[in-house]
Amino acid sequence: MTATDHSSADDRTLVRAAQRGDMAAFEELVARHRDKIYARAYSMMRNEEEAVDLSQEAWVKGWQRLRQFQGEASFGTWMTRVVINLCLDQLRKQKRQRTESIEAMDEESGGVERQMPVVTSNPTAGLERAELRQRIDRALALLSHEHRTVLVLHEFEEMEYKEIARTMGCSIGTVMSRLFYARRKLAALLADLKKQD
Amino acid sequence: MDFDAQLKLQAFLDGELPEGEASKVADWLARDREAAALLEELRNTRGAMAGFEAGIQLPESREFFWSKVQREIQRRETPAPKSAPTPLLARLRRFLVPASALAVILVAGAVLIRPAGPFDHAHTAGIETALADAGAFTYHDYSAGATLVWLSYPADNEVADNDEAGTIE
Amino acid sequence: MRAKLIRATGLGWFSVALVLLACAEVRAQAADMKLQAYLLWGTDDTKSPEGKAYKPVAPEILHKLKELPLKWTLWFEVNRKDFAVSQGAVKEVPMSEKCQVNVTKISGTEVEVLLIGKGKEVVKRKQSLPKGEMLVLGGNAPNSTAWLVVLKRIE
Repeated sequence: MTATDHSSADDRTLVRAAQRGDMAAFEELVARHRDKIYARAYSMMRNEEEAVDLSQEAWVKGWQRLRQFQGEASFGTWMTRVVINLCLDQLRKQKRQRTESIEAMDEESGGVERQMPVVTSNPTAGLERAELRQRIDRALALLSHEHRTVLVLHEFEEMEYKEIARTMGCSIGTVMSRLFYARRKLAALLADLKKQD
Repeated sequence: MDFDAQLKLQAFLDGELPEGEASKVADWLARDREAAALLEELRNTRGAMAGFEAGIQLPESREFFWSKVQREIQRRETPAPKSAPTPLLARLRRFLVPASALAVILVAGAVLIRPAGPFDHAHTAGIETALADAGAFTYHDYSAGATLVWLSYPADNEVADNDEAGTIE
Repeated sequence: MRAKLIRATGLGWFSVALVLLACAEVRAQAADMKLQAYLLWGTDDTKSPEGKAYKPVAPEILHKLKELPLKWTLWFEVNRKDFAVSQGAVKEVPMSEKCQVNVTKISGTEVEVLLIGKGKEVVKRKQSLPKGEMLVLGGNAPNSTAWLVVLKRIE
């Protein structure tokens, strides 16, 4: 298969070729999905350098595990699961390094969001796409890892509650409350950013 | 509104409630303005996030990023290269002094600590001989103390059967 | 004179320690190696296959499997065998009708594992297996599932 063929081939064909050891086919897959994989890592880690490293590692692992891919989901979905797992591992390692008290505070802070007044007007209404993205970016950075992860898995990865619970190794109840806190806090942060205009 | 009710509202928004329960929540929303306002806020937040990732791009060129990925793949697949050969005399000179000291220690260690035997390879790394599976790959995780050998051969039901339950039974 | 005595005593104790160490090592080499072999089935489905009641894999095994690059989240135990193998001997461990592992103890920590599927030799691996470590042999199985043969050193 020539380089030209690769650019016009669909993902399934490329995956089959890569499973046979065709590196050029895998390179085409990397080129097609690298932004999506990086974006997922960046959403979860909030650190450009870490996100680049983790997305690179995801592609290396993707190559190593390619035999396990049987096409039950799209290749892009499969790869995002690989990078999500790597990010979760990294976050767990970082979490181990943080102190217990900070962890406890992270979890308890949810209570505050529960009591917050409802943001009645849409704080992002009428914003340009770039401006909206910038505000979401700033607001996401202020969430705890746990809250942000649950939000990313639900909103971007479109996982159901039970799937998130399985991925994060917690109960569905925890997923629901973290998601709720994350959304409420995000709403408040976006409202604050609007006020600052 | 208690916390359970708040979570139920969210589950309604996310389509995670069974049909019967969802219609009850819909009735409640029609009656309760506070609940309706909270639902609206949650919906707005969800809507604001849509499309956020679409604008994020990897800050490295295709060629540069791929070269890093490719190098790493090759590094992990290739066994550690042997060092370049050096002239025999230089090698001997460099080798002789530490080697003689090491030999004394090793001989003493071997005599005192280990029984001599043809099978004594305690510290050799894992070596596999692919018999029917030429495509096996190996992964070692030091922290878990586990080695994985992934085989392509039995995937097509050589070890396994065709039906799922009987696959490995 | 006193310094000489101290040095001599120190050397004496050192020799005793070395001899004890050597004895312990000889015992370790000669002792049987105790192992556990598991046949596992990996899936993302929360249920055991129809008509089967496989129990979920033991937490200590699951914990280690999670560290490996495996995509499946749920692992069920299909079969488990406890056995011991002595130096130089081959232990044949049938895991199912079609799958068997032959384990040879090569040295104190090293084993040779031969995986046999449907009577054919599939892969042979020499592996250093210190206490608590695991060797995992696996492959894809139908319907996006996987099988694993896990060999864990107990003693």
